[in-house]
Amino acid sequence: MTRPHTINRERGLRLLRTMRTIRQASERIAALYPSNVMETPVHLCIGQEAVAAGVCHHLRDEDKLFLGHRTHGPALAKGLGLRPLFAELYGRSTGCSRGFGGSMHLFDPAHGLPGSSAIVGGSIALAVGAGLSAQLQRADFVGVAWFGDAATNAGVCYESLNFAALRKLPVLFVCEDNGYSNVMPKSAHSAHDIESLAKVFMPTVAVDGTDVLATFAAAGEALTAIRAGGGPRFLHCKTKRWMKHQGHEPCDLGVVDRDRDCPIQKLETFLRGSGLLQGAESTQIAQDIEREIDDAIAFAAASPFPTPELLEA
Amino acid sequence: MPWSKFDCTYTAPTGGRQITYCDALREATDQAMVHDPRVFAIGLDADDRFGVFGSMRDLTHKERVLGTPISENAMTGVALGAALSGLRPIHIHLRVDFMLTAMDQIVNYVAKWQDMFGRQGKVPLVIRAIVGRGWGCGAQHSQTLHGWFAHIPGLKVVTPSTPYDAKGLLLASVADDSPVVFLEHRWLYKNTGAVPQELYTLPLGKANVLHRGDRLTVVANSLAAMHALTAIEQHDLDVELIDPRTIKPLDLDTITASVQRTGRLMVVDYDFPFGGFGAEVVAAVTERAFDSLRQPPVRLGFPDRGMPSSGVLERAYYPTPDRLAQAMTAMLLGEVVPS
Repeated sequence: MTRPHTINRERGLRLLRTMRTIRQASERIAALYPSNVMETPVHLCIGQEAVAAGVCHHLRDEDKLFLGHRTHGPALAKGLGLRPLFAELYGRSTGCSRGFGGSMHLFDPAHGLPGSSAIVGGSIALAVGAGLSAQLQRADFVGVAWFGDAATNAGVCYESLNFAALRKLPVLFVCEDNGYSNVMPKSAHSAHDIESLAKVFMPTVAVDGTDVLATFAAAGEALTAIRAGGGPRFLHCKTKRWMKHQGHEPCDLGVVDRDRDCPIQKLETFLRGSGLLQGAESTQIAQDIEREIDDAIAFAAASPFPTPELLEA
Repeated sequence: MPWSKFDCTYTAPTGGRQITYCDALREATDQAMVHDPRVFAIGLDADDRFGVFGSMRDLTHKERVLGTPISENAMTGVALGAALSGLRPIHIHLRVDFMLTAMDQIVNYVAKWQDMFGRQGKVPLVIRAIVGRGWGCGAQHSQTLHGWFAHIPGLKVVTPSTPYDAKGLLLASVADDSPVVFLEHRWLYKNTGAVPQELYTLPLGKANVLHRGDRLTVVANSLAAMHALTAIEQHDLDVELIDPRTIKPLDLDTITASVQRTGRLMVVDYDFPFGGFGAEVVAAVTERAFDSLRQPPVRLGFPDRGMPSSGVLERAYYPTPDRLAQAMTAMLLGEVVPS
């Protein structure tokens, strides 16, 4: 914790709950994954929960969040239910994308998830389009672009930053920087510094993306400015990816210290130290979430598969 | 903003007000924007004084016409994002060739967005592009590419040949809840024809029979349809000319029924030949009406290489009404037609 946090108990517990939901759902996916009940590539968010929780707790259902391939964390934080998520991973007709999307293509427009994309970078532009729509309609929703460090190498990122800044669009750019493009470290894929690049176009803030309270505070300030008509903002969240790029196995690049870098432990330590979390509350939250995951998996496993007739043009 | 009440049941008028193809596009755009405040236009130079060759000039709602940087890929994503957030964008490209820098967005995003999520959402997005050659424009300013876009599931491909079709099909494209690639041949822009004043939409996926005949079915779209019509009329050929108007969806029923009557098929496709629209029509008709074919079907189009610039080479590269007439005459005489 590099700065003092002012947070009430309710907010603190909600952030904890969101991060635990992402963590526990991800760990369950990892545990089940070798059994092939989920026939879809998964890009897990373990270790990156603070970015999803910290940013999405400021977002409303009307705000449009466009994700890349690492979807589960921010989608859950934005409001996607565990049932439609697991049913989608199980390839069932009750999945959020009716079995057509899989892990990388999640859809829940009622919660401001108009879709996610597995081509790195491109969905940044869609969030800018949402911002343009809000501006043209004089509506107060915000477009949120969610992408990793490697996406800043794509031309579409530059084009999107430029257009959002030119038209002063209500767009929040969230760079979830886990330091790796697949197994390639940032030093091998980017000659630029992400903050310097973004600052050419718009006010940019860097935060410790493993510190949910810092992320929550920075995202709040950025979104307040955007909603006040201040144009786009860029949030650079430095975080750590605990798992391999894809799949259920831990990352073997040797860069993660799970005690030092755990966003959940960090928040719990802070909440206990501040008297906002007591006794077995954390255990109780974890158990509640386990039951919700059990329910979601039972729902998914009992749901029908989509029928091949749906493939007709 | 119901659009369905404008569905047109009547055919093209033979008389009445005559306007150009360009003015028909302009009127359609203006009426769409007046009728539906969700409609806006965006594109490189869309808002400049040239108004996309005149098709965007003097619009009622100038505030909904947005110019863009030369960032076609992101701007396509911007248009898609706006379409997913309550608006009905028309994204405009001065040349279809420029659109190719946006193929990631067009193929991976725009075309896939409905299928990828189980067709739960709408993508009311029109991508307009001007196609075809200018004058010595060469390989990067002369392409048409309708067959290529039609290859991708999730894109409708519309290629109007007349002012009447241009207006009705553009309005239908704006009214549609799925992505439409709308390709306008620049050589058609000054053509005139009867166009009703009121707002109307034509069905996507319904061919138009431009000329009746009994001995040969010619399928041709866009400028090729106009060239084929000229050829047929000037040489008084007994040819049925079908303009599919939309490459996708394709009105194979009308085409097949005609071939079953005439026994002969020629496709005039002003596009690259390999795996293209002409190939698709020939394959589909062969599958459906093999026994009706009295001769091998014929495809006429461009050579399988990039466009040249020199006038001498251009005149050799591009088909003309005279060349189409020669080919049709040869086919009617039962001769082998080199494609």
